[in-house]
Amino acid sequence: MSRRPPRGEYIETDTGNKVARKATLVGTQNIMLGGKTVIQPDVMIRGDLARTIPPAQSASGGPANNTAVAIGRYCFLSKGCVLRPPGRMYKGVFTFMPLRLGDHVFVGPGTVVQAAQIGNHVHIGAKVVIGEFAIIKDYVKVLDGSVVPPNMVIPSFSIVAGQPARIIGEIPEGGIEAFELRDLYKTVGNNPQPTTS
Amino acid sequence: MFGNNRLPAFHPGLTQSRIRDTTTGNRLWFPGVRSPPSESSPSDSDPANDQLPLPITPEDLYDTPMAPFNPYTYIRCPCSELNPYAKRTPDVTAQGLSCAAQDDDDHTFDPRAARSNYSLYPLEYLSFCEDCHQIRCPRCVAEEIVCYYCPNCLFEVPSSNIRSEGNRCTRSCFQCPVCIGPLAVNHVETPPDPNQLLSPDHAASSHSGSYILSCSYCNWSSTEIGIKFDKPNSIHMQLAKLRNGGETRLTAKERKERRKEQGGGGGGGGGGNSTGQGEEDLDALLDMETQFANLKSFYQNQLSDVNGTGKAGGDASAALSNLGFDAPTSLSRIMSLYTGSSSLHDKKSKSRPGTMREALAPSEGLQLASLDETSAITALQDVESTTGLDAYSSTASTTQLHSQAPYLGASPLHGLTRFTSSLRPIPYLLRTKRSKRCPQCRHIISKPESKVTTTRFRIRLIAGNYIPTITIKQLIIPGLTPPPMPNLPPDTIAPLQPAQFVLTFKNPIFESVRVTLATPATTPGRFPSKVTILCPQFEIDSNTDVWEEALKDNNASASTSQQNLSSSTGPEGGPGRKRAGTLRPGTAGGASLAGEELGPEVGKVWERGRNWTSIVIEVIPASLVQTAKRDGKGPIKEDEDVLEIPMFVRIEWEAEAPEDEIMPGLSSAKGNKDGGKEKRELAYWCVLGLGRVARTL
Repeated sequence: MSRRPPRGEYIETDTGNKVARKATLVGTQNIMLGGKTVIQPDVMIRGDLARTIPPAQSASGGPANNTAVAIGRYCFLSKGCVLRPPGRMYKGVFTFMPLRLGDHVFVGPGTVVQAAQIGNHVHIGAKVVIGEFAIIKDYVKVLDGSVVPPNMVIPSFSIVAGQPARIIGEIPEGGIEAFELRDLYKTVGNNPQPTTS
Repeated sequence: MFGNNRLPAFHPGLTQSRIRDTTTGNRLWFPGVRSPPSESSPSDSDPANDQLPLPITPEDLYDTPMAPFNPYTYIRCPCSELNPYAKRTPDVTAQGLSCAAQDDDDHTFDPRAARSNYSLYPLEYLSFCEDCHQIRCPRCVAEEIVCYYCPNCLFEVPSSNIRSEGNRCTRSCFQCPVCIGPLAVNHVETPPDPNQLLSPDHAASSHSGSYILSCSYCNWSSTEIGIKFDKPNSIHMQLAKLRNGGETRLTAKERKERRKEQGGGGGGGGGGNSTGQGEEDLDALLDMETQFANLKSFYQNQLSDVNGTGKAGGDASAALSNLGFDAPTSLSRIMSLYTGSSSLHDKKSKSRPGTMREALAPSEGLQLASLDETSAITALQDVESTTGLDAYSSTASTTQLHSQAPYLGASPLHGLTRFTSSLRPIPYLLRTKRSKRCPQCRHIISKPESKVTTTRFRIRLIAGNYIPTITIKQLIIPGLTPPPMPNLPPDTIAPLQPAQFVLTFKNPIFESVRVTLATPATTPGRFPSKVTILCPQFEIDSNTDVWEEALKDNNASASTSQQNLSSSTGPEGGPGRKRAGTLRPGTAGGASLAGEELGPEVGKVWERGRNWTSIVIEVIPASLVQTAKRDGKGPIKEDEDVLEIPMFVRIEWEAEAPEDEIMPGLSSAKGNKDGGKEKRELAYWCVLGLGRVARTL
């Protein structure tokens, strides 16, 4: 925080999140960060687009959970990407729905994410558009420039590309370690570590 | 019927990096983190044009802002050797080629040979059989399907359903026939007045159904083919009963019942196609399912008739007719293939029946080919005259037709749809989870959990846990490396100038490993570049426990830290960095930089860390332009400017010898026990892709 005499480029929170000062977070009370997440400059997270209708009165009787964007651990939001909760008509009224990101999610620069859910260990390339209410499961790689159509479900271990996106390949068994973002996390921040060879 | 469609299971062409897409010439190397990135990511702006990778010619890559070249290492799977398992299972073909295999030893590996495309893989794609101590690749492993599931709804489909229902999702998962985006079931609102005013069509046809399938990517909807649904669920079943235009179609069961009611006779094709004139008997259009049913019952009758009457025809003709398609023997065999009933076969085998007649009427399954294309031609002309659009764009592309699911209600052969306006929604093809077996010892190499949604593996023996990873970086020492030529395109290597690259070997196993490298002095192919490995023999320390490392790290920082240099912790610039470890000088010679300060020295390791060692390789690339001109071999082909170096890697280590181990007679593992330890070795070819050589000079 501001205790440090030189103001760093990033704000580092107690849980290890590194949020760039130049990032635009709207509606911060509706944004949940799991910790150790990097938010680079010019990232926009639209936390203000929270549900307008309270979620179905089910078991959750506690305080109204109005999270718009939930982000897991070790996520990496590259420069200029946008996280925007999806919205639709629900029982005649327009409402936004929460956008959930799992752990180790990489979002490339210039990408717009309007998914309903993104699993763990997902790599989304640069200049990708993830349509509204798309669901991306674990260990998925979305290549640069893809346009994932709304409502698309991408199963685990898929490689996806194209406009509209389609499954073009499978992640091999040996390729799942490459989704780890712990090392990448260390390379940014106010005192970044050099990349390990 | 459904068997025609291959399961989307695992298309080797898509996962094999080196295989090129034949349509585009583009290297299909999508996955993996160390892949050449954007040049392979397909993008096309036109939703209707769904050819996958954008055709990129090498010239495009070169002139346009070029995709940065990522150095790569591909490893050659031993299965591509001519006689991979000869010592264990000598088979006929292998023996026939054995002489070729012998002199295979003398030749170096050529990464540009046409065959090499099929044997080179990035490390992530390779498995490792612990029993054979050998690398296994996606091409040589045997796969077994663990489960089938729909990629859209992620429900598992039992394999018994696959046999009966085919390899597509039978719930409500559909893809857009135009752009292959997912289709959503949408409710069509009918009652409000303004809507009625705006779209009288909706109100008119709303009685037929109030749910439609619609694509949110290209705005296609099932109303375009006149199909609406009554219920939002089990769309697949509803769609099977609907023709384009919304007419219902008889299902097989209904037709059977109807036929029973009519007492046999002609059971023409339900509602009939709107274009067909159902009046004339022979012209009656049957859809595929009806025709098949009619044919089947006709032939069944024929067979039973023939069998009942015994030998009807003459002896000679009967004997001859047994060869043709109309022969009862072959017929019953074919029918048992398609219908799965073996009862006919048993009955027939006792008596040799005579001749049979062929189907003569639509009720017997005769379908005359309608070669009259005038209706299609007029339709094509109508498109141009009425809408003013290009008629060509209204026809379905090959890929669109190819992705269409077989529809039993379609008219067969000559009634195939040609227009995008008559394409039907595509039910999702199922996907599979698969386990892998070693081709030689049959042990399982990889086995995922059978549940669809879990991503864990029960067994996962990947090569990355056994053999060192090789990473490549160009070595640029300020002051020593000559500055790049000013007219050189970025990210290229200057020809005819020595360039140095650092190869970093990272050891994944818990024993230290001795590595021996070898390369041919010049690269094979049309443009021979000179290659020198400055340190062809070295050791990599063991991949010690992470905790051990952490403790060492603490010690180092607590004490003066200078004493702990050899504990080698921090990899880059840290205290563990160790230059120029003394190893036996190798055979590499002729490096101009030998003996100079700071520069890489012959026979010495460049850098080393906890479980990694870096060495330097020096290359003098050939001049592409000069060589091509001098030899008159024509222009530079695609990717010929990539500097690829074949390298033979041999690793040796001492492993704990399992007591009950019976060593296969492979080169990979030799006995030589001393005190519970056992020497292991593994040798393989790999290819280093260092970069593109500039086309100047």
